[in-house]
Amino acid sequence: MSDRHDDVATRAAEILAALGGVTNIVEIEPCTTRLRSEVHDPAAVDVKALRAAGAHGVMISGRVVQVVMGPEVDVIASDLEDLL
Amino acid sequence: MAGQGLKYVKVRDHLRSLVTHELAVGDPIPSERILCEQFGVSRMTVRQAVDALVVEGLLVREQGRGTFVAPIKVDLEVRLSSFDEEMQRRGMTPSSKVLASEVVDAAPDVADALELLPGERVFSLYRVRLADGEPMAVEQSWLPMRLVPGLLDEGVPESLYAELRRRGLEPDWGEDVVAAAEADGEDAALLGIEPGRAVLRLTRRTFAGQVATVYSRSVYRADRYVLWVPLRRPQRPLTPRTTGPRTTKDER
Repeated sequence: MSDRHDDVATRAAEILAALGGVTNIVEIEPCTTRLRSEVHDPAAVDVKALRAAGAHGVMISGRVVQVVMGPEVDVIASDLEDLL
Repeated sequence: MAGQGLKYVKVRDHLRSLVTHELAVGDPIPSERILCEQFGVSRMTVRQAVDALVVEGLLVREQGRGTFVAPIKVDLEVRLSSFDEEMQRRGMTPSSKVLASEVVDAAPDVADALELLPGERVFSLYRVRLADGEPMAVEQSWLPMRLVPGLLDEGVPESLYAELRRRGLEPDWGEDVVAAAEADGEDAALLGIEPGRAVLRLTRRTFAGQVATVYSRSVYRADRYVLWVPLRRPQRPLTPRTTGPRTTKDER
């Protein structure tokens, strides 16, 4: 259990870094299977790093970045809350 | 003109509530003459209202016989269950006609969806899905070969999800993308509808935990399906506690 939790915590940190770090985040909303985030600068988003952190897809439209994570988004979101 | 437009809407909405609340599937609707008298409108206005509901799929017109209440549309809930399970839940008998089942190299889009390298081997299925013997959808699906070895050894499984469950790969989440489209010639022929009629194109990625298990593209008849989507309030978005060096205001 604790391994799994650490794994998710690490993943949350990786995702935040790949989204350009705390300073790039306007908001992040967990949405069933996706993390929908609004960022200041979409160019600062590292899609490859998001995939490496376990994302099953990344959709960028304007300043909205959607990261497909599966139902784990809720757990990741609660870890992200600690990091923001 | 505005008055005429409003009259047409009144007749149409009256017919719509008749269809949904008073008449049964296959019942004839009131005659043009009766509707003209009831609403004090021209035949043209009545026809326009009936046409709208024919196009919507609530009514069917039969040459020389009249206009009748169309079969009820199946609510296509975007949920992670198989076609078979959905039809059984509604008391319909599902069946499939297999048009092709083979092992192929994954095309780039299929490889991407299944998180494989292009050219990796995948099982490819092409099926017509039927309910009570009537074609409802055409479905192409792909599964990674190394994930489900021997999948087709004893023919195409009756239900892919059931077979995945048996192998400990129960699909537990996924994503659908649904688009409206017109049926092309091949889909129309398989579905028994006219080319150019409306269809729903559904693209689905299915996962078991972190493993992509099935990618499918389906075409559903729009005259038999409506899309049903549950809604709920979005969760509270997370925002950084401290404002970064760049603020949203500056950007906007």
